[in-house]
Formats: sequence, structure tokens, C-alpha cells
Amino acid sequence: MSMPTKMPDAAAVKESILAKYPVKVAKKRSKAMVVNDPGAVPAVQANVRTVPGIISQRGCCYAGCKGVVLGPTRDIINITHGPIGCGFYSWLTRRNQTDPGEVGPDGENFMMYCFSTDMQDENIVFGGEKKLRAAIQEAYDIFHPKAIAVFATCPVGLIGDDIHAISREMKEKFGDCNVFAFSCEGYKGVSQSAGHHIANNQIFKHVIGRGHTRPDGRYVMNMLGEYNIGGDAFELERLLESCGITLNATFSGNSTIGAFENAHMADLNVVMCHRSINYVADMIEKKYGIPWFKVNFIGAESTAKSLRKIAQYFEDPVLIERVEKVIAEELAAVKAAAEEIRPRTEGKLAMLFVGGSRAHHYQDLFRELGMTSVAAGYEFAHRDDYEGRRVLPTIQVDADSRNIEELKVEKDPTEYAPRKTTDEMETLVQHGYEFNDYDGMMTEMEKGALVIDDISHYEMERLIETYHPAVFCAGIKEKYCVQKMGVPMKQLHSYDYGGPYAGFRGAVNFYRDIDRMVNAKVWKLVRPPWQDTPRITATYASA
Amino acid sequence: MRKIAIYGKGGIGKSTTTQNTVAGLAEMGMKVMVVGCDPKADSTRLLLGGLAQRTVLDTLREEGEDVDLATILKDGYGGVSCVESGGPEPGVGCAGRGIITSITLLEQLGAYHESRKLDYAFYDVLGDVVCGGFAMPIRDGKAQEIYIVVSGEMMAMYAANNICKGIVKYADTGGVRLGGLICNSRKVDNEREMIEELAKAIGTQMIHFVPRDNMVQRAEINRKTVIEFEPTHPQADEYRALARKIDQNKMFVIPKPLSMEELEKLLVTFGIAN
Amino acid sequence: MLLRHTPTEIKEREALTVNPAKTCQPIGAMYAALGIHGCMPHSHGSQGCCSYHRSALTRHYKEPVMAGTSSFTEGASVFGGQANLLAAIDTLFTVYSPDLIAVHTTCLSETIGDDLNQIVGKAQEDGLIPPGKRVIYASTPSYVGSHVTGFSNMVKGIVRGLPEKSAAKSDKLNIIPGWVEPSDMREIKRLAKEMGVPVTVFPDTSGVLDNAMTGRHEMYPKGGTPVADIVASGGNKHTLALGAFASEEGAKALEVKCGVPFTTLDLPIGIAATDRFIQKLSVISGKPVPESIADERGRLVDLITDMQQYFWGKRVALWGDPDQLVALAEFLVDIDMRPVYVVSGTPGKAFAERMEKVLADIPEAKCKNGASADMFLMHQWIKNGKVDLLMGNTYGKYIARDEATPLVRVGFPILDRVGHTYFPLVGYAGAIRLLERILNALLDHKDATCPETQVELTM
Repeated sequence: MSMPTKMPDAAAVKESILAKYPVKVAKKRSKAMVVNDPGAVPAVQANVRTVPGIISQRGCCYAGCKGVVLGPTRDIINITHGPIGCGFYSWLTRRNQTDPGEVGPDGENFMMYCFSTDMQDENIVFGGEKKLRAAIQEAYDIFHPKAIAVFATCPVGLIGDDIHAISREMKEKFGDCNVFAFSCEGYKGVSQSAGHHIANNQIFKHVIGRGHTRPDGRYVMNMLGEYNIGGDAFELERLLESCGITLNATFSGNSTIGAFENAHMADLNVVMCHRSINYVADMIEKKYGIPWFKVNFIGAESTAKSLRKIAQYFEDPVLIERVEKVIAEELAAVKAAAEEIRPRTEGKLAMLFVGGSRAHHYQDLFRELGMTSVAAGYEFAHRDDYEGRRVLPTIQVDADSRNIEELKVEKDPTEYAPRKTTDEMETLVQHGYEFNDYDGMMTEMEKGALVIDDISHYEMERLIETYHPAVFCAGIKEKYCVQKMGVPMKQLHSYDYGGPYAGFRGAVNFYRDIDRMVNAKVWKLVRPPWQDTPRITATYASA
Repeated sequence: MRKIAIYGKGGIGKSTTTQNTVAGLAEMGMKVMVVGCDPKADSTRLLLGGLAQRTVLDTLREEGEDVDLATILKDGYGGVSCVESGGPEPGVGCAGRGIITSITLLEQLGAYHESRKLDYAFYDVLGDVVCGGFAMPIRDGKAQEIYIVVSGEMMAMYAANNICKGIVKYADTGGVRLGGLICNSRKVDNEREMIEELAKAIGTQMIHFVPRDNMVQRAEINRKTVIEFEPTHPQADEYRALARKIDQNKMFVIPKPLSMEELEKLLVTFGIAN
Repeated sequence: MLLRHTPTEIKEREALTVNPAKTCQPIGAMYAALGIHGCMPHSHGSQGCCSYHRSALTRHYKEPVMAGTSSFTEGASVFGGQANLLAAIDTLFTVYSPDLIAVHTTCLSETIGDDLNQIVGKAQEDGLIPPGKRVIYASTPSYVGSHVTGFSNMVKGIVRGLPEKSAAKSDKLNIIPGWVEPSDMREIKRLAKEMGVPVTVFPDTSGVLDNAMTGRHEMYPKGGTPVADIVASGGNKHTLALGAFASEEGAKALEVKCGVPFTTLDLPIGIAATDRFIQKLSVISGKPVPESIADERGRLVDLITDMQQYFWGKRVALWGDPDQLVALAEFLVDIDMRPVYVVSGTPGKAFAERMEKVLADIPEAKCKNGASADMFLMHQWIKNGKVDLLMGNTYGKYIARDEATPLVRVGFPILDRVGHTYFPLVGYAGAIRLLERILNALLDHKDATCPETQVELTM
């Protein structure tokens, strides 16, 4: 695929957008907007502060911590320590599906519940520790959960409630309930990303490694950075099972605290969303010797590629053969759907501004529909997600990131066991394996495509006006602005309540949804007929 | 490394006492770091000879530029590492949060790392613990020892008693202990006896009685500690003595704060109120 | 079971809120600000607040919700948010050219004590506010009251910022409609027009949050109360505050500032509250109630007689915002239903007192508002004594499914249906629609669950 001819000149588009901004703002935004060259990937500014007032897509640290990483774990009670809003807005709004089965030993599911200390004026003035302690006690008394997590909101950080000390105290008091806390106040860092990092740290410190149960199976792996939006994880669970691969823990779609505790019992970590979970992958490798590599189960080809990579890692011809068989079986339906739909989508343009990995992953699905991603960017990613992990050493750490704890991880004296010898790893690398690596979005995008980090509302509108894409992908806040412009908009956080889109069946779902969106008749109804016909003026003589 | 926080009522002479004591420890060959936890950023002035320095929190202004330990840590008298948290102007922002942020940043930057071979880290904290942020230095993993600077004046004793309440709160979870009261004399009648009694009542010791001497002010005007400015002056020996006592201190307690009535009774018995 | 961990046994809770029946102030302030034409709401706090509020409003209204944020970082929290707000004001006016910016605070900026009056003054001084443009503001700490309080506080902020005192009083009435749907605001204006009473309704989100599709995204859609009208509201004859919780404070502030007297009425939901509204309009304007409105009312009464047999004695659980609940409960009592459980997270003694009167004839009724009045408690009540119908926002759907009880969606937020913002609930027409939905819910449930022998063709 290449860029369609007769495209607007990306550099000129960028300059015209910047012209609107105050000088200082233009200077800053200029570095976040680059014209792509997959051969010589240019540097893009990312993970820096948002310009106040620019109208960004971004949320906050709390959202990244409570909403994203911990939200999908069903048997943990997540208490938001703060005024009611933060807990309320993160209550069931991310579509993380979960399957607790029927009520039974594994039937716990607190995801439909919202727990908050609902801090009042007097808790801010006199401190909220007493209320938090009481709230943890009440949660324990009523629900008897295996774990309780506490999440700090902005004012908690200001008044200095020591949520960690209280959690430790309550954990000791209960004895049978793991209690831990997250200092994920909304103002930390510059986006949700800080919250991911904080969540990763605390899960690693307080949860991973507590269990010692390894599931049955020859090929046992964890899947990191898959949140089961719209049932994605269910589809992947099905697929892996049919390949004979045992899924130990998923971080964190359809997950349980028990699975997290046993995460170090697997032999491989595969990473879907690099941005939100790479820290855990790195830390597990350092402490327990489990290698990780990047996979992508969005798009049929990427799914096949990822499955093959997993099979080859285990170096068992039986597995490799079985995976090939599954791929062949599953691809048949996918190919048929793509062939049917592609004539209606071929050559159309897509734009993706979302998340920290989806704006990259979903380009594969559009490619399979013959569509070109002419502009893309992330909401909260870092430079490595754009340019690849090779730029990691050159990323300047600023005070906003420095504020987020960087755990010092060492080999576990008893549990560290390298799953592959150095020689085995080297052989795999020679066969094209990229461990601990991610090439980023830009190497796979077309030359001349626009890459924009933390896109503003203004930039988004101008892009749509200039390129008239057939579909625009972002989140709920952008949804109706884009559609008011007559362009179908696909939410890639909530999937517009559709999905799953992961794996082979997910790909077919996506093809059908895009087909439906770009070919829906309503877009042709926007202009009233009289706008296109000359107005008939007639006067009747009054009688 | 021993981590020590110095608390006390505003204006009691905490910064002066801290810096002079630290100078004494440095003279003994100790490697010390002083962390100023006051938005005014004047806790290390005497050790640095008045040198204005970049504060930890300055790095958070504007674009959140890169932080480098070298730019915020300055060596002062006797090789003492000096760092100031800094913070907002009076009346705006959140100084308490500033202290939490800055201590976290220092930890991230490795200011307490073993490789720096520190014997002591001192926190010099703004007079009144007005909100949770000001208690940061006595929370877990931070300072383990507290010394309260006090005088025979009623409000100073009242403040010291209040600080003890704060220590009790964190003693269970954070493990912080009171090392003693430092009496910075205001030449109040029966001052020594009264503070000794106060110390006894709350279960601690008066670790040292620092007499009032104009030399302290003279040294201060010259932006120096007494030990540096007039090493042979008797007042310099007082601070040396205090430094030695802290270095050898073995008495660490969870204080038993007094009720208001008990405190008043103490004042009546020892003369102030009669 | 979705809410499988909710025990029937009720334990007193002091600290833990579970499944709240409220959210925080700033979202109400944002909604109110959207009801002024050409206004850009601005959230002075961490960017997550703004993101959450825009998302929640968008999910309910299915419309663009534009708003700025000061994007606080740790630095701003320590040093104060002035620099961020000044930058935001500059960026917003330069890039998005609103007529005015309506700033509201958050728990973060409130706790550090940012002074909006001073910062906006500084913006003026620094020339960041272009000539003819304005910045208004409201203090909306999230740890006081609820989203309804935030709406009320922004209305007060609008009153502080815009209306001008005028010696001569016009014939116009001000109506503060409370936090209702855009369609409700449209209906209130229609009723006033039908009465021949000139009104300024503010805030007014009709034409903003139910805007037409044109192929262009209008940053500032046609709707919203024009600033000039709000400025002139200080010279209007009287203010009707609809809803004691959402609207009275604003009306009071306008009386203090410009000497416009006010009357507080219930939201005109249901027959009695609409009667009072219409009568008040008539009394204050001196205009008789036209036959067309009497006809509307007549159609409503006729419908009640047709439906009444299905309503009699049915037990209803309600939750949501106080102004809605008061009027709704009164209406349910009027049609012989029994509102037995009422919960609102919004605090205020006035609510409990008022509900006591409304529910005087329902001795078994339980009503709780404020701290720990949440949907968890409501569900426990229901487990201890079943109801026939649930009325409230989307979060009731889990109770509805677990308890196999029909749900009529009213209030905020409704996240799982589309179209609720297009049809009013206020006025006689709104009551007609409400009745149809209640009856459909009850009968659809019966059709789906009754024994086969009892399925009726004609009902």
C-alpha cells in the first residue's frame, strides 16, 4: 500500500494548522507534528505537558491507574479515596468485560460496583485517613474480598493522607485480604500514562509473586496489555486454547487477583499494549527471568504472525504445526469476509488518534480493507511507541516523569529462573526474534503521512476538513464532533459498544463495522435537497 | 544513614540550630545532607554562605525541565550537601504538597543512595505542621528520629507538645521516634528546669540546653555558622556538644503528649504563669 | 447476578459509598455553562476532570461537548494554577474564539486555594481577554454537595458575571429551568410562548446539546441563551426558579444583585407541578391561560383515566436528583402509584422535609439523601421489599436485571439509550410521554413474564 496520489502536502497542512496558535503554543505543537518517513523515522515530541486550554483528548493519572489497569480485575475491591466524581466517572465506563461464571468459588465480581470514600469538606480540612480506614473496614466486613486497592485522587495528595500506611495497617489487621494503595493523584505526570506506570509498580510490588500455582499445560504464557474491551480477551482465550497454549494471567482483561499473583509461574510474556504495561514485562523479566516480546492480535495477518511467533518461541514442532492448522482454519472465514467487503472500502482514507497502542494496531485492520491511514497519533504514548524502543536511551527524562517512582528490580534469590539460556535466546534473535523490543508505529506508516501526538480539537477539525477521511477513529469526546462534520467516527476505546475486534473473528467484526459505517446511507442525507437546487422564487399576486 | 527531622515552632531557631549542629557533625568527619523543607528556601543559608540555589521544586515550573541532582545539590561548609525543597510564594499553591513532591523527587534522583555514603540526612521543616504535607518527613521510610527545638516560652512548649501528637500518629505505622528536646534558650526564668520537666513528662530527654548568645546572630549576619565564623567561641562548643550528643543518642521514644491542663500545670509550677 | 455481592441484610455504613446516586460539582457547572450561547466552559484543575465530564455529558447527550482544561501538573498544584489558567485563557480565545469563557474550579484548585477573581483580574490586566469578550467563573469544590450544586453554583456565577441592574423593568420573565434535558428547556419556552409570556430562559441547552446535523461541527451551535439576554435579565420583571436545588440560589443572587424578585417552583414534571407553573406564569404576566394549554392538560387527564387501572398501588423505587424526585414522586402519587423508596446522593435537609410532605400518604415509604444515600442501599431496600417499577438513571439497569423489575430511564446520566434528550418530560406533553413509558414498561414486563395462560391480546 502507498499513499494515494493527489494527497495534500502534509508539511503545508502542518504549517497552516500552526499558524492559528499563539507563538509559544505553535512552537511547542510544531515538535509534536511530524511528516513520517518510515526509512528515517523523525523524532516526535511525546509525553510532555498539554498546553492549557488547547482542548486535548487526554485524561489523568488516576484514570490511567484505576480506570485502565486495575479496572478490569473482577475480584478486587477498588476504593477511590476522594470526592465522589472520580469513582463515579470510572464506574463501568470502559467496557471491560469479565466472566466470573456462576456464583461459586471463582464467582466473585465487583466490577459492577463503585466504591468511594465520597470525601466531604470536613475530610479535606481535618484529613481523610479516618474515613478511609473505616471505608476499608466496611468493604471488608460486607464483601470479604481477597484484595482491596485504594486509589488517591488529587486532594488526597495535597492534604497528605498516608494511604500506604493505612493500607498496610489494614492488611495486617485482616490477615486474609491484601490491601494496597496507589498514589495516582490526577495531577501526576502529563496524562494517563503516569497512572499506568504507578499501577504497574504497585501490582509488581504487592501482587505478583504471592502465588505459587502453575496451571497445567506445556506452553504457559501471560498476555500483558489486553483489557478485554468488547470481549477481545475472550476471543483471544478461545484462539489460544484451540492452539493448545495455556494462558496463565492476562493483564488485565477478564483477570483475577489470583492470576496476577501467579504471573511469575509462566514461561513467556507477550505484550499487546506496550505503553500501558511494558514496565511489568521488564520487571518480571529482571526478577524472574521470563522473556517478553511484543505481539499484536489486531488484524488477521498480525494475529497469525503473533501466533507463529509464540509457537516458535516454545520451539516445539507439534505446537508449530497445530498453530499453522488453526491459522489456516480461521483465515478462511477472514479472507472470505475481506474479499466481499474490500471492494467497498478499497482506497479510502482512515485517521486514528487514540490511546497508546491502538492508533498503531488498528492500522493493520484498515490495511486489510485496502484503506490508508493518512494521519495517526497517540493520546498518551511516549516516543518509543512512535519511533521504537531504539530511541529509549535518547529520551530526556523530565521532572514530570521523574516524579513517578522507578522500581529497582533485582533477580529474585530463589525464584529467578531464566526460561531460555543465553545461547537459546541468541539463536532465536538470529532467527529474527525481537525480544524486549517494539518498533513503534512510524516504521509501519506511509511516507508523507502525518503523525501527531496529543492532537488538539483544532488540529483534528483541520485534518478532517483537509483530507475528508472515510472514517476517523478516536474516543467518545471526539465522536460527535467528527460525525457532525459528516464523517463516520469509530470509537477505539469503547468500540461503539461493538466488538470483539481482536483475533480472527474480531477482524471480521471490524471489517463489517467499517463497511457499515462508511457505506451507511445517512451520510448522504446530511444536505437537504434544496441546498443543491437553485431557489425557486415566485410571488403570487394578492387577490 | 540516620535520618533526622528537626521540628519546632516558627521562629524558634530551627534552621540556625540545625545548621550549627550539622556543622558540628561535619567537623567530626560526618557526611551530612541537609534538606530544607520550607518554601522560603533559607534552611541552608549559613552552610552555603548565603548562596542562593535552585530548589528541587523549581524544576517543576514551566515545562518540567530535566532534573539533575548536581544542579540542586550544593556542597557547603565541611562538605555538607545542601538542598532546598522550595515552594510557592506565601498565599498561593500548596506548600505541603511541595514537600511531598520534593522528597519523592530526591529519592528518585538517588539523593539518599548508598553510594553517596551519607551518615546523616537532616530535614529542617517549616515551623507549624499545618497539613499532611508537612508531616511527610516523619512518614515511613523518611526520617526515623525527631528532635524538637523548644524554649521556655509557652507557645514554643505548646507547639512542641503538638508535634509530639503528630509523632504518635506516625510512630505505629512509620516507626518514627522522638530523640529529644533541644532547648534553644530565650532566657526565660527556670527555663532549663522547665524543659527538663517537660521532657520527662512526655517521656523523652532534654538532649541539650543551648544558651542564648549574640554570637549566633553575628555569625548569621555574616551568613555563617558559629563553628565556621568563630570556631573558638564558647557558643561553638555548645553546638559541638549538641552534635556529639545527637551522634551518641540512644534514647528514642514514642512520646506521651500532655493534655492542655497538664501543660498549664507545668507552667504554673515552674514560674511562668505565676 | 450482576450485583451478586449485595446482601439483603442492611449494615449501617459511615464511610463507604457504594454505587453513588450523585456525582461531583464541576460537571454541573460545565452543563450550565453550555447553556449560554458562544460559551466555552473551562475546568480549572487536572485534565482528567475535564475529560471525565466531557465524556459523561457526551455519553448522555450524544452530542459534542467542548470544554477547556488548565491541565494541572504536580508543579501547578504546588505553585498554584495561575500560570495555567492565564495560558488557557489566551489559548482558548486565540484558537477557539468564544464570546465568553466560564471557568469552574475542581477539588484540586479549591484545595490549594486558587482565587479565580484574582486570576481573571490578572488576565484582564495582561490583555488576554479580547475587547467585548468575558470570563465568568464559579467555585465548585467537588467535596461539597453534588453535580446539582455545581449547576446551581455556575448559575450563580453567570448571575454574578453578566446581568446588569436596570431601573426600568421590562415585561419579560426570567426562567431558570434547572438541570433538565435540552428538550425540556425547549418545552418550557414553548409553553411560555403559548401563554404569550416573553421569557429569557437561562441556561438553555436546547440547540446546543440537541443540535442539528449540517455537515459542519459548530463550536458554538445556534442555541444557548444569548449573552445580551442574560445581561438584560437584570431588568426583567420576575424570575421563576424551577427546582429549589438547581435554580433557587441563582434567582436569589439575581434578586440581590439587580432587584429582580423571584419565585421558586418545583420542576414542572407531572400534572400538579405543571399546573402551578402555568398558573404562576399567568399570575405574574397577567395573561389568562389559553385554551390550547387547557386542551393539553385535558388530554393528559384523559390519558390518566385510560391508564389508571394499571397504575393503582404499584410500588416504585426512584433515585436521582432532588428537584426531579420531588416532582416525579408527587406525580406518581397523583396517579395512585406508591413511590416507596427514594434515594438521592445530593445532600440537603430541605429535600427530606419536602419529600415527607409529598409522601405523607405512603407510610411505608423510605427516603434518604446525602451521605451514604446510594444505589447500594436502594437495592438492599428493594431486596427487603420488592417493587413493581424502577425509575432513575442507567445505573439502575443492573438492579432491574437482577430483580427482574422494569426500569423507566429518567434523570442523569442515561448512557445506554439514544433519544431521551429529544423528548421533554416537563409540561403536560412531558407527563403524557412519561405515562406512556411507565405503562409500556409495566405491560411489556407483564407480557414477557406472566404465565402463558394470562397473556392478553387486548389490555
